[in-house]
Amino acid sequence: MKSALFGKVFLHELRVLIADRTLLLVGSLLVALVLYGFYNGYQETLQREHAAQELAKKQADKHAENITTLRALLGGEQKPDPFANPFDPASVGGGMEMRYATLPTLALSPLAFGQSDMLPNYYKVTDRSKASFMYDTEIENPWNLLSGHFDITFVLVYLFPLIIFALSYNLLTVEREQGTLRMLLSQPLSLAILVAGKLLVRALPVLLIMAVLPLLLLGVLRPQLFQADQLPAVLGWLGLVLAYGGFWFALALLVNIIGRSSATNALALMAAWVLFVLVIPVVLNIVVGLLSPAPSRIELATKTRLITIEGLNRYHDKLSSDYRFTQDPEVLLPRDGKIEVAPRRQAQFLIQRDVDKEIQRVLNEFSTQLAVQQMLVERFGWISPAIVTYEGMAAIAGNGAARYLEFQQQVDRFHERWKEYFEPRLLNSIAMTEQDYAEMPHFEWAEVPVQVSGILKRLLLLVIPALIVIAFAIRRMRRFSVV
Amino acid sequence: MLKTIQLDKHFGSHQALKAISIDVKPGEIYCLLGANGAGKTTLINLFLNFLQPTGGQVLVNGRDVQQYPLESKRDIAYIPELVMLYGVLSGLENLEYFAALATGEKLPRDKLLSLLQGAGLDATAADRRVSTYSKGMRQKVGIAIAMAKNAKALLLDEPTSGLDPKAANEFSQLLTKAKDSGVAVLTTTHDLFHAKQTGTRIGIMRRGELLTELNSADVSHSELESLYLQYMEA
Ligand SMILES: Nc1ncnc2c1ncn2[C@@H]1O[C@H](COP(=O)(O)OP(=O)(O)O)[C@@H](O)[C@H]1O
Ligand SMILES: [Mg+2]
Repeated sequence: MKSALFGKVFLHELRVLIADRTLLLVGSLLVALVLYGFYNGYQETLQREHAAQELAKKQADKHAENITTLRALLGGEQKPDPFANPFDPASVGGGMEMRYATLPTLALSPLAFGQSDMLPNYYKVTDRSKASFMYDTEIENPWNLLSGHFDITFVLVYLFPLIIFALSYNLLTVEREQGTLRMLLSQPLSLAILVAGKLLVRALPVLLIMAVLPLLLLGVLRPQLFQADQLPAVLGWLGLVLAYGGFWFALALLVNIIGRSSATNALALMAAWVLFVLVIPVVLNIVVGLLSPAPSRIELATKTRLITIEGLNRYHDKLSSDYRFTQDPEVLLPRDGKIEVAPRRQAQFLIQRDVDKEIQRVLNEFSTQLAVQQMLVERFGWISPAIVTYEGMAAIAGNGAARYLEFQQQVDRFHERWKEYFEPRLLNSIAMTEQDYAEMPHFEWAEVPVQVSGILKRLLLLVIPALIVIAFAIRRMRRFSVV
Repeated sequence: MLKTIQLDKHFGSHQALKAISIDVKPGEIYCLLGANGAGKTTLINLFLNFLQPTGGQVLVNGRDVQQYPLESKRDIAYIPELVMLYGVLSGLENLEYFAALATGEKLPRDKLLSLLQGAGLDATAADRRVSTYSKGMRQKVGIAIAMAKNAKALLLDEPTSGLDPKAANEFSQLLTKAKDSGVAVLTTTHDLFHAKQTGTRIGIMRRGELLTELNSADVSHSELESLYLQYMEA
């Protein structure tokens, strides 16, 4: 009997929503927003992937060119260039060969910009100090909450609640105001079933569009979505959309149960939206910035300069020696596996090495800042479902702060490997061979799989508030006034 | 069937009903007379559990409506003063929905049409959107909804308001038919003539109090009129 009545309410509401064109209007607006948001995210992802390909190509071209030069020099067809000598480990490790370490995009990357335009997606790794390539950006506050890009996550976090309000802010109050509520509730129909039917008929189509349409588009455009390891991310996306939408529907329910008029309902819902979607994220952004301020770039620059000056003194002897190739061009070619690495260039390498070593504390502050900011958001983000959802989507898309932090660390370790590879050759004047070129270290990004536990935690942070709101609404139903 | 025991209803400091005890038995048409603000609609709302009594009890078919809201609503059909429907749907679709809620079944189209016809709605109007209906036409759909339920009791709040005299008269006949088949009818009205004509019993209310009850057979129309005016002036 109950489920039969529920079905009747559901079908009737569907009929009304179709007849008054609400469903058509709201549905097509949402589809348009989803398509536009998806387009933006997809373009951004394509650009990133294109840029990564360009860099890989540049690196490969440079490599091929170096091999060609090397062979030409061995065959005596060409005279060596002292500052671009493929035998000289100082030249090779310092830029003739370089590694573009790029953070690959994930299947779901188009769904959320996340931190992708705040933090670098690639670094150019050479044997120079990491201060010169990893910390040379101007961004004061690297972590950015709700960046405001018009991507799918923006549609979901900012606009989807408004769509939900448009459908359901006056769900019950309008029936009271029109006088149909007394007609309905004079029948053996409980308020709970009535409101459940009305809610579900509104929730189903928009949740379906919001959750499934982006996945359909992704499935067509990015077949890697169907790989088994993407399953947690896909389920996470679905879960977060449903839970976030569910939260706003729950709030609309509560407001309708408590509210006296449609107008007050609309006001109350807008106030909740402003609070959760605008105020709390902005305040949290500010608080996080205050609690974890950006380390001083001036200190970094000053310190780098001081260490460099110290190095200039320490390695004075090497630096003041002349380049020998000016008198003896033969030293530019390898002899018995050796090549004369100019002492000046050894000194430059050593200075960079010292900078890296001594500046580590300052650099740690930078990566710690990002980690601390992320930690603060994890700790306080639950206050707003908008933050939970935004961060969750960024993580699923592979554009969350945690993945970027991991990227920095992997690049840092790779940079160390690169330097370790060249240091003995450079200091012991060992000539580079074609064999060496094949064996030089390559940056291999080790993916951090999407954390299922992290997704579950975020789902709980959305579902629990929604359930609390629903429980409260159910309690208040007894005091609901029909007239 | 429709019974109240020492029923009180306060709205804040205002007492809208004072110790009302009535009992409408199957086969009776009980007409509540009273000026605007007498508390007639409040009494009806209490039968529908739309309001909670401050004191006393409301029983439908022997069951307390607060304890058994759904069961008691199964036994009541209700026509409000203003029948309000879904404007974007047709009269027939509205009837179909409310009748389905009332009976739990989907009634076939010809059954719905005959209900509308029985309520006096023009057959050509059945498939038009209700937003084009007059107040009287909506009232007729409301009557059809009530009749579809085949309930043991009818609660009517000035049901003929907005109906033309002919339609009001047809409605009276419907009520009499319902009465004859054992339905208990409680109706509020301003219309003394209608009360005398169709009612079996008449109650006169003033400012929340039930002043008197009488059998309509025991009074003539003019007696009822002078009695009513006497009570209103006192
Ligand atoms: N929901 C309500 N809140 C406060 N006062 C009400 C409410 N409903 C009715 N009243 C008051 O109770 C009294 C009786 O009203 P009502 O039952 O509508 O009278 P009637 O139907 O006989 O014209 C009136 O004074 C009215 O103002
Ligand atoms: Mg009234």
